[in-house]
Amino acid sequence: MATPTYDLLDSVTLASSASSVTFSSIDQSYRDLVLVCGNVNASSANQNFVFYLNGDYYPSTAYSAVFMEGNGSVIDSDSETGGYFIRFTTSTNRLQTDSNAILAIQLFDYTQTDRHKTALVNRSDSYATMRLAGRWANTSAITSITVDGNVAAGATYHLYGISA
Amino acid sequence: MGVVKLSTAGILDYSKTSNFLSGNAPVSFGAFDLLETQTLASSASSVTFTGLDSYSDYKHLQLRIMLSSSSTAADTVLEMRVNGDFGNNYSWHSIRGNGTSVTSETALSYPSDYMMVLRGSRTSDVYSAAVVDIMDFASLSKNKTIKSLTAGRGAGLTYIQLQSGLWIDTSPITSINLDPANPSYIFGTGSRFSLYGVK
Repeated sequence: MATPTYDLLDSVTLASSASSVTFSSIDQSYRDLVLVCGNVNASSANQNFVFYLNGDYYPSTAYSAVFMEGNGSVIDSDSETGGYFIRFTTSTNRLQTDSNAILAIQLFDYTQTDRHKTALVNRSDSYATMRLAGRWANTSAITSITVDGNVAAGATYHLYGISA
Repeated sequence: MGVVKLSTAGILDYSKTSNFLSGNAPVSFGAFDLLETQTLASSASSVTFTGLDSYSDYKHLQLRIMLSSSSTAADTVLEMRVNGDFGNNYSWHSIRGNGTSVTSETALSYPSDYMMVLRGSRTSDVYSAAVVDIMDFASLSKNKTIKSLTAGRGAGLTYIQLQSGLWIDTSPITSINLDPANPSYIFGTGSRFSLYGVK
């Protein structure tokens, strides 16, 4: 029997610029999470934009990632181990005041305690498009997600739960 | 029972409503529904979703996969086909980042016997992930297309891949076949395959 899902769990719209947003006490009754970030601009030029889990602050030995990006003239791929889960901190993908970035972050099996946590990320903005995968080498359930970065007013964050 | 005239004079907080909801929250009938999930209790040499014709009231399908290998010695490579068609009736394009460079591949210039691949990692607690969108799966007039985002990071895997796939057939998709490319390295315990309908 079909089960309606993709339920909105929480949402935040920045009324003023903020350096951090945390979704805490995340509902543990779903299988996957999707965090959709829209209209994301930096409050001033060249701002790092980083996501981390359960207060495991970056850089952390538990994080690893791989990404690819293209800006219309250059394509690039990079990876790291022991640093960041999801980050945009290089000259080609830091937030700008006119980025107008939108991101869809898929977090799989976030309550499963027999596996590391994996994310797939789509990001597009005024400057580039990017796909990224992050892994948190920790079997704990994800109970909080923090978005770190100096972001201008007007950004929206919507967190959804998907059953399986 | 007698008829009693009802007038606004006897109603407190009277307000006119413009629809039948009369201030109640709208009922959602679901635009994104879970249809089936298969989680492997033991390793498996294939996973199949059948009877998809019963979901023809949906426009699109989405597969969400977490995949590991049954072997600690080698990855497993999942290949996706539909309707039991193992012939060379597919083509695909991909762009792939491996942490150093980005490459693009295609099977357009020659026929392929699958429309999507996902490489699953070889460690029990590290899973590769995929989101696969299957467009207009019940159409009687369109060749069938998919797009997928897949990745593996850890346990020897470092890649992220965006892929489009084509099944050169206008028949409705009634089954999805997920098979390992190498029968020696099959899908590991705990691998999860969830199918959703999108209206």
